[in-house]
Amino acid sequence: MFVQLTLWRREMAAYFLSPIAYVSSIFFLLITGFNFYLVVGLFYSKEYTIPDVMEQLLSSPLFFWPTFLLIVPVLTMRTFAEEKHSGTIETLMTAPVTERAVVLSKFMAALAMFLCLWLPTSAYPFLLEVFSEEVAPLDIWPVASGYLGVLLLGMFYLSVGVLCSALTGSQVVAAIATYAMMGILFFGGLVHTYVAADLIREISLYISSFEHQQKFVRGIVDSRPIVFYASGTVLVLFATIRLLEGRRG
Amino acid sequence: MRILSGFLPATGGDVNIGGRDVSKQSLEIRRHIGYLPESCPLYPEMRVSEYLGYRARLKGLPRGRRKERIRTVLEMCGLLDVRRRVIGHLSKGYRQRVGLADALVHDPELLILDEPTIGLDPNQIREIRNLIRDLSGKHTILLSTHILPEVEAICERVLILDKGKIVASDTPENLAGIVSGSIRVVAEIKGLQSEIINTVKALPGVNNVSDRLEGAWVKLEVSGKLGTDLRQNIFQTVVENKWTLRELRTISTTLEDVFGALTSGDNRSRG
Repeated sequence: MFVQLTLWRREMAAYFLSPIAYVSSIFFLLITGFNFYLVVGLFYSKEYTIPDVMEQLLSSPLFFWPTFLLIVPVLTMRTFAEEKHSGTIETLMTAPVTERAVVLSKFMAALAMFLCLWLPTSAYPFLLEVFSEEVAPLDIWPVASGYLGVLLLGMFYLSVGVLCSALTGSQVVAAIATYAMMGILFFGGLVHTYVAADLIREISLYISSFEHQQKFVRGIVDSRPIVFYASGTVLVLFATIRLLEGRRG
Repeated sequence: MRILSGFLPATGGDVNIGGRDVSKQSLEIRRHIGYLPESCPLYPEMRVSEYLGYRARLKGLPRGRRKERIRTVLEMCGLLDVRRRVIGHLSKGYRQRVGLADALVHDPELLILDEPTIGLDPNQIREIRNLIRDLSGKHTILLSTHILPEVEAICERVLILDKGKIVASDTPENLAGIVSGSIRVVAEIKGLQSEIINTVKALPGVNNVSDRLEGAWVKLEVSGKLGTDLRQNIFQTVVENKWTLRELRTISTTLEDVFGALTSGDNRSRG
């Protein structure tokens, strides 16, 4: 546990000692801020409720998904690929640390960065409540469940990103592989709208991140997506650990 | 080296360090070895003391001893002046020392150094060698290198590997003896060529003489029995015959000769 904390701190330091943390948070805030402006100013130029705005910001194919999908590989591509490229993986793995501790700490650091990026956006509903003329008092729960969805999605997609990074020694390849995997996952979840075959429809609906997030943001907390993302994350991280152990033999 | 340090699995055979199997008790063994990989990889964005602190924590050094150990290795490796500097801004020699300090920070019983002096300038090489020699009192050091004079300078025991097999294992001095089985002397003498050769050949203890003309000088390479000093006899002969002598020295067998003899597939010279 202590070793894991040490590793996690080193990972966090790596984000903040390199420009990644600053550049990504600046652009992330620019994009989400601009989205917020668009939604409030143009999309709902006359009447809106706060949950309406948050639904757009946390689930719409225009204002949420591009931002979300864009940021994941930025946070995960360096996790293993950089260490492999520079050779530091050798000093890391010959220290008395387990593969599990290394994988978990890298994942936890990426998740922490991810949450740091989303944290400022949680101010938007409160800003609206203070500055808008909307009369209904702010209902906090749909917003909270919307963010729960973001957390679950983040966990799963970030673990995929960490796995892709462990597969290669190049950050660019890791990022491209992550985009490809996320593309398959995300668009696989949209197939159900075009396909009539029952089985494919069922599967597509079950893995549909888009549908899940739309439910979460409306305050519907279903146990199925929670189980899906939690078990998916565990499975992918387990695969990453096995991958590293396999190299050691 | 990577297999010994537990980074890669062995394709065959097993590795035993201090009575423990590397593949089965990897974690336990990694606690007791300090490993400096060939490329000496470091995190360039960290400061020296920061990096060593991180590595010390990672290697499970208890909080109380950490500060003192880091101080000790900084001192040992001559890094006190640069401990606040960012690793990425250090020269190759300093980085190598940071790597060595990292390998040492948990006071390991076994140090594995993979080509520790590669890419350094002669002064830095000397410093690193001195450091390694100082350390050899307290730690067991396993050093791999292609620079044979380095081995002669610092190693007490040499293993020569050829295609993954150990072909020799002994002290450097003994290895030299095994291969040559004779001593060799070079002499440059001015005089009549045939006369010189015949006289020298007749000297006691001389096995073989080869010669070459260099202007008026005859350059002889004389090989003789181990344990005899041919130089004295040659000098006296020169004096008696009133020749002139301008060079007289023994050629010591270097590890390079040993290495060449043992790994070229030439078994003839093996004693």
